[in-house]
Amino acid sequence: MANGPASNSKIDERSAGHSSPGIRQSLSPRPNRDAVTTIREDGSRLFLHPADVRGRFTTARRWSGWLLIMIYLALPWIPVGGHPAVFLDIAGRRFHLFGFTLAFQDTWLMFFGITGLGFSLFFITALLGRVWCGWACPQTVFLEHVYRRVERWLEGDAVARRRLDAAPWSAAKVLRRGGKQTIFFVISAVIAHLFLAYYVSVPELWSMMSAAPGTHWASFVFVFVFTGILYFNFAWFREQLCIVICPYGRLQSVLIDDHSLVIGYDTPRGEPRGKAGMPGAGACVDCNRCVQVCPTGIDIRQGLQIECIGCSACIDACDEVMDKMKRPRGLVRYDSMTAFAGGRTRWVRARILVYAGLLAVGAIVAAWALSTVRPANLGITRLTGAPYFVTAEAVRNQFLVRLVNKRDTPARFVITLPDAPAALVRTGLEGTVELAPLAEDVRTLILQIPRARYAGTFELTVHVTDEARTFSLEKTLRFVGPDPELLKEDGK
Amino acid sequence: MNPNKPAPEPGEDPIRAHVFDGIAEYDRRLPNWWLMTLYGGIVFAIIYWMATQHFNRSTDETRLAAELQRIEAEKIASSATALDTATLWKMSRNPVFVNAGRATYQSTCASCHGAALTGGIGPSLVDAVWLHGDSPDNVLTSVNEGVLTKGMPAWGPVFGGKKISEVVAFILSNHAAP
Amino acid sequence: MSDRKITLEYNDRIVRQFLLASVLWGAVGMLVGVIVASQLNYWRLNFDLPWLTFGRLRPLHTNAVIFAFVGNMMFAGVYYSTQRLVKARLASDFLSSLHFWGWQLIIVAAAITLPLGFSRGKEYAELIWPINIAVAFIWVVFAVNFFWTLKRRHEPALYVAIWFYIATIITVAMLYIVNHLSIPTSILHSYPVFGGVQDALVQWWYGHNAVAFFLTTPILGIMYYFVPKAAERPVYSYRLSVIHFWSLVFVYIWAGPHHLLNTSLPGWLQGLGMTFSLMLWAPSWGGMLNGLLTLRGAWHKLRTDPVLKFFAAAVTFYGMATFEGPLLSIKSVNALGHYTDWIIGHVHAGALGWNGFMAAGMIYWLLPRLWNKPLHSQSLANWHFWLGTVGILFYVAAMWTSGITQGLMLNATTDNGTVLAYPNFIETLNAIKPMMLFRVFGGGLYLIGWLLLTYNLYRTLRGARPVNGSVEVFVTGRPAEERLGFGSMVFNPPVMFSVLGTIFACAWMFGGDLLRLAGLLGTALCVMLAWVHFSTRISRWAAWYERLLVNALPFTILTFIAVAAGGLIQIIPTTLVNRAENIEGRRAVPYTPLELAGRDLFVREGCYNCHSQMIRTLVPDVLRYGDYSRLGESIYDYPFQWGSKRTGPDLAREGGKYPNVWHYRHMENPRDVSPGSNMPNYPWLFTQKTDVTSLASKLAVQRILGVPYPDYTDGELTETVENQEKEIAADLRAAGAYVAPDREIVALIAYLQKLGKYETVKKEKKKEVASSE
Repeated sequence: MANGPASNSKIDERSAGHSSPGIRQSLSPRPNRDAVTTIREDGSRLFLHPADVRGRFTTARRWSGWLLIMIYLALPWIPVGGHPAVFLDIAGRRFHLFGFTLAFQDTWLMFFGITGLGFSLFFITALLGRVWCGWACPQTVFLEHVYRRVERWLEGDAVARRRLDAAPWSAAKVLRRGGKQTIFFVISAVIAHLFLAYYVSVPELWSMMSAAPGTHWASFVFVFVFTGILYFNFAWFREQLCIVICPYGRLQSVLIDDHSLVIGYDTPRGEPRGKAGMPGAGACVDCNRCVQVCPTGIDIRQGLQIECIGCSACIDACDEVMDKMKRPRGLVRYDSMTAFAGGRTRWVRARILVYAGLLAVGAIVAAWALSTVRPANLGITRLTGAPYFVTAEAVRNQFLVRLVNKRDTPARFVITLPDAPAALVRTGLEGTVELAPLAEDVRTLILQIPRARYAGTFELTVHVTDEARTFSLEKTLRFVGPDPELLKEDGK
Repeated sequence: MNPNKPAPEPGEDPIRAHVFDGIAEYDRRLPNWWLMTLYGGIVFAIIYWMATQHFNRSTDETRLAAELQRIEAEKIASSATALDTATLWKMSRNPVFVNAGRATYQSTCASCHGAALTGGIGPSLVDAVWLHGDSPDNVLTSVNEGVLTKGMPAWGPVFGGKKISEVVAFILSNHAAP
Repeated sequence: MSDRKITLEYNDRIVRQFLLASVLWGAVGMLVGVIVASQLNYWRLNFDLPWLTFGRLRPLHTNAVIFAFVGNMMFAGVYYSTQRLVKARLASDFLSSLHFWGWQLIIVAAAITLPLGFSRGKEYAELIWPINIAVAFIWVVFAVNFFWTLKRRHEPALYVAIWFYIATIITVAMLYIVNHLSIPTSILHSYPVFGGVQDALVQWWYGHNAVAFFLTTPILGIMYYFVPKAAERPVYSYRLSVIHFWSLVFVYIWAGPHHLLNTSLPGWLQGLGMTFSLMLWAPSWGGMLNGLLTLRGAWHKLRTDPVLKFFAAAVTFYGMATFEGPLLSIKSVNALGHYTDWIIGHVHAGALGWNGFMAAGMIYWLLPRLWNKPLHSQSLANWHFWLGTVGILFYVAAMWTSGITQGLMLNATTDNGTVLAYPNFIETLNAIKPMMLFRVFGGGLYLIGWLLLTYNLYRTLRGARPVNGSVEVFVTGRPAEERLGFGSMVFNPPVMFSVLGTIFACAWMFGGDLLRLAGLLGTALCVMLAWVHFSTRISRWAAWYERLLVNALPFTILTFIAVAAGGLIQIIPTTLVNRAENIEGRRAVPYTPLELAGRDLFVREGCYNCHSQMIRTLVPDVLRYGDYSRLGESIYDYPFQWGSKRTGPDLAREGGKYPNVWHYRHMENPRDVSPGSNMPNYPWLFTQKTDVTSLASKLAVQRILGVPYPDYTDGELTETVENQEKEIAADLRAAGAYVAPDREIVALIAYLQKLGKYETVKKEKKKEVASSE
């Protein structure tokens, strides 16, 4: 059962090809289809050191990555309409989104956020494959553009990093590794703190950071744990998350069809591999650059694989080699499997149309739902106790009205009962009801109808607007009372 | 690590000899980090068990009781000191409490007891007749717990201790202190 | 015995039958699911008909999808793969047919009795006792047929799929029988032998492990057969399957109490439920890893093969659900998520994603092989997949949103945590109402996907001829040295270390000071010795296990010991300890006969599907519903009604909160007193007469169970009931509502007004009647 000291069986010691002749690219993985490259045969982790890569996709990805990081960093700081652009104020039970304020009662709109993101992922994957993974996922963005850059800066290129891995512990190694880990931890802490800022706002975060942890244990523990998770993930776990943990990567894989864009290897053009000038050889010179740059340790030439996050590093690597060889680019490229097989990619297909249709319907429903959100909320319940009261003169119902002002300015509400019977006597909520900015208040509403005019249960509408009539809200109530026949009998 | 050892061919994968209906089985090692999650779970269970069962005298019940006591204390603290009759009378002479109580009264209580406290659906609060006890703590109880059969709801769970005591102070401010 | 070659024809007819039944019942079960989800949104959709109300249809939905849909699918998969994996035709065609027709008869009986309101009042265990006996009998038929087939196998070693089937068969039998122990009061009604906390514990030991051993282990077995077959790849790791099988079956059974976190269940049980749930994460993911990494080699085929698509997505959803499960078992997370739609979302991620997609993948793979004709349309199968995934997305997103919104609102407080921000439950319900509509949409898409499968199946089968698989086997005598006797089954390092380790660990967990220390040392010593022994004698461990794999009976016995351990340790102390001491100072006041009749109505209408009767030891619960529930307060509850979901508010202290007329109007039309409520009307309670005649036999059974009822004569009983009925009717009349005293609504009001009444039990055993409010 045991397999002996085969721990480095996935090691390729062949020197690299044309891109860096003379440098021994030892210890780079040699992937196969039967086992996961990053799990060695003894179960330990093979820590990847992807080689540097330059090219148009790498540049574009770096720009887009930094843009996304900037957005993440900036959102809690930019004020829109008096609040941070995104401020999910759980404690105050208000959500501020780009100047739009929602109350707890509107949290259901989150559904559109979740399904919108999820469904867009479906749609984009059907069209473009796993671009989310390669270009926009926070895991990739932070790992590739922040953590790996720090590693590259402190420890050098892939060869130097492997050498450092293999080197015995020395003062220099301790210094480098310690420095790297410290920086990793600090970056993780910054990301975690900013994450908290989305929920407590930056000023509050600052005041928490300047106070003792004991005054805000929950937040402190959250940030501490979150920092730890981020640090573990970005410093060590890395691509294992994409391969084993993350469900979205796998769901994207199953959502790809023959016409979806994927990163692939043009097998007919590339095979058989061989040195330039070898008779009958294909375009691939087997330089292994595409393997060396891969952050998940696969060989793209073996086809679509579970690990591939669509990062396009292998495209740039191959293009660079092809350029040097004066061969056309695109041996490894973005294309559909149909196109790789010699066919034509059909961009418009039934599935895409249905997805687009559903997305449009979803957008319309979401827009409609958002349009139903008013700058106020109205909730009506009954006062606890009996459903109705019968006095010598009248039948009485008692309600509790909850009004929420979602504006940043004081609001004066006007409450009317448009379809109430004339005999109905109302007390409470007369005139205007004034609410402070973002305030919430409950008021009593007492309805009475004279016994003689009472003829059984009826419905009535409660209408709320403000003095300027900028919105209107309605709720239907049921006025209940005793069986009218019995009431008459009792009256006799 | 030994980079000089030749890499085995893929065919050398540890596959088991026996095949079931065409299904073969590799015999690969488990990823060590997966094993660590298993061991980690067990270690956590041991620590958790010791912390909650062996070395901790507090239970869900005692923690809940402590938290409820804190809430009780908070309620009492926010509604001035101890809510005895004397304190309530004292509050009723303090404009800070009375004004706050008036606001709550007008928005909530006035619909039944009248804007001038002279009664309507509910009884008058300015005359000398007290249906449910005339001492201030009786009044407080009525507001807090309600008189359900008459239609007076329990306001304690809606407003909390502070507002309730302010409202009582406001009502008492319309009566002469003893 | 000399070798000779024979050709075996498999019994694939039974596979085809179960497969077709699964497709049919799947459609029915999902349709009922869509109907009940719609009813949550439009309460009128029960058309004021008793047999169409949510409380009665929801059990039909759960029973149909679990036992009819997954059950039939499982039997099809088990019978197909077992025959091939052991190279033997099913032992008995008669037993196979009996199994099939018996099971369908049970399903039909369930589909009739559940809407009619015949229910035991326990989730996923609602079926009445005569059907219980039938289920147990048919399960035994299944077991006999299966083990008899193993006995006749021509393949000496047992493949990992078979291990999971064995675990399924013995564990489900154990769970089902214990949780269905009842004493009948009539041909259609019974009371469970356990009450209150014991019933709760046994129920969730069963309920949780119904998920484990009905929806998970057999499907894992099916995964281990069909995934490598469809992917045409070797299984990723044999040793992973060994570790994850044994850890899964051993750990799973302990996790049941995580359904009762923060309730009045004793703390040590809650601790076990939480910690074992967390320990379960790794074993569950072991199964996911093995499935996923087996598929890995065929990843490039995912684009084109719908079968592999379904399997890959199913394994992914299995991973998500088994990650979310431990997360929700953490007590503080549970405090937010329990009783809300989050749990419903979690369950459906597993049911739709794992069970539904495994079923679909298996069916699409089997159809061409069982009927010898290519699948009618690959493209329709792809559409099924795409609709299904979108459906799950909508469904789960709606439930997450709903659960977290409502959880946050219910727990929100103001004024330094002293006052609830939303004291009225209905305000939180109104906030999540739109989600109830979106879940219907998501579930509807999923159902449409299933109907595509049904159509595809119909077109494939039209004009196709069923075909039975066959195999050539060599009949050989098995060498005697491979037989594992009792001694070598027990006295070998793996078993001895496991058993000793468990015993020591229990001593450490439950023992007094000295025993605890000894247990700790013993456990540590055991683990260290086992580690050393394993490292040095690994080949002996492996060789012993290989021998075990050719010995089905010892394998089954060891599996049974592994699954039985958890239940024994959790349940026996709770059932055997003196109940009188385990009541936390309070004891329920026994229900009057009329209240008992009302309680049976509560059970009949399935009120527990939406209302809990358990105020947890959490501040928001106490602020909202009153003092937390004590164990003694449900001591006379047969069955317990703690509930698992709050679509409406908790009812543990409902008694006395409202006047009788409130309940009267509320049952007539809940919106009269609760604006915005989505509870259905119950008009039939106002016309049907309370069943008083059966009360005598019900009281007799309750007396046997230990409820202190006096020995009423018939006259006394009638008089007691009538007096209370008249009292309530008179009170209603005074409030302006007339009803004849003998109507069911009166009994139900009597019961509801009783909720939360208890007597304080002082140490001097003095009794003092008190009420909660």
